[in-house]
Amino acid sequence: MGQLPVQTIHRDPQLFYWILFPITVVMVLTGILRHYASVLMATAPKKQDQKTMREQRSMLHGVATRNNFHVLSAPSFRARRDYLTNAYESGAFLKNPDQRGQPPPNPMTDPGAMDGMMGMMKNNMAMMIPNTLIMSWINAFFSGFVIIKLPFPLTIKFKSMLQAGVATKEMDPRWMSSISWYFLCIFGLQSVFNFLLGSENAASQMAQQMGAMGPQAAPQMFGPGVDPDKQFKTEAENLAVVEHYSVLDGVEDRLLEGIISK
Amino acid sequence: MSSSLLHPPSHLPPATALKHSKQAPSILANSPGAIATSTLQSLLSASETAELWTTYENLLLSCLRTGDDESAHQCLGRLVNRFGDDNERIMALKGLLKEANAGDDNATLDVILKEYDQILQENPTNLPISKRRIALLRSRGQIADSVTALISLLDASPTDAEAWSELADMYFSQGLYSQAIFALEEVLVLQPNAWNIHARLGEMLFTAAKTSDTSKQLAEALKRFCRSIELCDNYLRGYYGLKLIAKQLLNEPQKATKQAESGEFSLPDSATLRKLDEAATEKLAEIVRRYSAAEKGWQGYDQAEIAAAQQVLQNETEATVR
Repeated sequence: MGQLPVQTIHRDPQLFYWILFPITVVMVLTGILRHYASVLMATAPKKQDQKTMREQRSMLHGVATRNNFHVLSAPSFRARRDYLTNAYESGAFLKNPDQRGQPPPNPMTDPGAMDGMMGMMKNNMAMMIPNTLIMSWINAFFSGFVIIKLPFPLTIKFKSMLQAGVATKEMDPRWMSSISWYFLCIFGLQSVFNFLLGSENAASQMAQQMGAMGPQAAPQMFGPGVDPDKQFKTEAENLAVVEHYSVLDGVEDRLLEGIISK
Repeated sequence: MSSSLLHPPSHLPPATALKHSKQAPSILANSPGAIATSTLQSLLSASETAELWTTYENLLLSCLRTGDDESAHQCLGRLVNRFGDDNERIMALKGLLKEANAGDDNATLDVILKEYDQILQENPTNLPISKRRIALLRSRGQIADSVTALISLLDASPTDAEAWSELADMYFSQGLYSQAIFALEEVLVLQPNAWNIHARLGEMLFTAAKTSDTSKQLAEALKRFCRSIELCDNYLRGYYGLKLIAKQLLNEPQKATKQAESGEFSLPDSATLRKLDEAATEKLAEIVRRYSAAEKGWQGYDQAEIAAAQQVLQNETEATVR
């Protein structure tokens, strides 16, 4: 079988200077701009008032007691459990004891919750607007150009990804169009931003999307729209069902067997 | 910059604090006073690290201990430059510096106390300042006020292990052992693996047992010491306490009290006690020997603690000879 002749396309070297290079530079610059825009727009975390702090920390106190009950002796644990369950059930730690049993306020009207949402909106906007602009810019000016040939072979599946905007059936998937170069830049510039702006930059939207997935559990606990009274009741139940044992039970024997005899 | 500058300096022995303080002028001269915030400059100069600011803070505390007020002022100045005047931690450090400059001058201390009150009135959640206020009250001997303030702080923020342990210490100094023990247990709830707190709780229980004389407390103290050794091998205070208790229990065996109510600790039998006593003696002797021989990895014990251990061992041998 005769080998397929290597496809060659004669490209104007100017394509490199007028398409590849400008797209890359623009992407880097927007990343840097986005970083500084988000730094400027970031609002300082709002201070909690004393009652909110008390409510949240009392909650955490209960959680700590439930998790680490084993360091206490049985009578001390019973005393703490009785105190905490009583206080939780009577709502002693609540920020607004009068509002017990009422439905939680609508998060849309709660100014504290609005702040958080505004922050999210701002972040999303800072990501979406530049992306839309650049994409339409590339589509308007550079669509349909084949700009580089990748130095490694690829299967046919990559054709739709790498040759977006170039509707040529027979072309080798190694050829890349300008819009694909743009996508490659979106995903591949993370390390460049790390180098330029330090590792905690806000330039790359990928990192932000990852971040949005991760630490959701922690703020959600006290987030808007959660009824603290219900949380306290749940915690009181959790505490009540703890079956107490102490880490001090038989510690002498463990010690004699383990560490000392070594 | 030595790495010990990155640890909170309150536990450092005076010699180390003095050493740090002597280094202060050279550290201050060699470290950048301010960090460039623009991209271009940060590409050229060294990047900002959290360690730098920790170093300044600890250096400030060490300098205050040794009375090098000039370096302390410089450290504070750089911290203020970076974090601004209204940062809570900086406010506390500033208060600390003022307190140190006031010395024993009661009128000035009154003024400082008023300032703290003022700050707390505007922002009651300023924990560093309210802790400073409590510490100032305590150091002026107003223990009752100090305890009241601390309790109200803990009511608002019950997850503050530092505050609980301070409360325990204050109660203990007043002889209110059961309150002190409660507060220290609270520290353990928040920091379950703190072996030093386990041992400290053991010491408090031991002291409390001396006055009220219950075998229950002695049993728990013994277990606390065991736990602290379990968490940290070669922990001198743990072995020391274990030794003292085991010896006391062996010398004056407790009458078998009525079966304790459910879940309370009972004393181990005398065979276990003897084994524990032997093990503790052996270990203490090993620690003392290796410390005195200046073996590598066995330094860092407190000199006074080593001396106390030596004393106990000596008493033991004398008793045996007799």
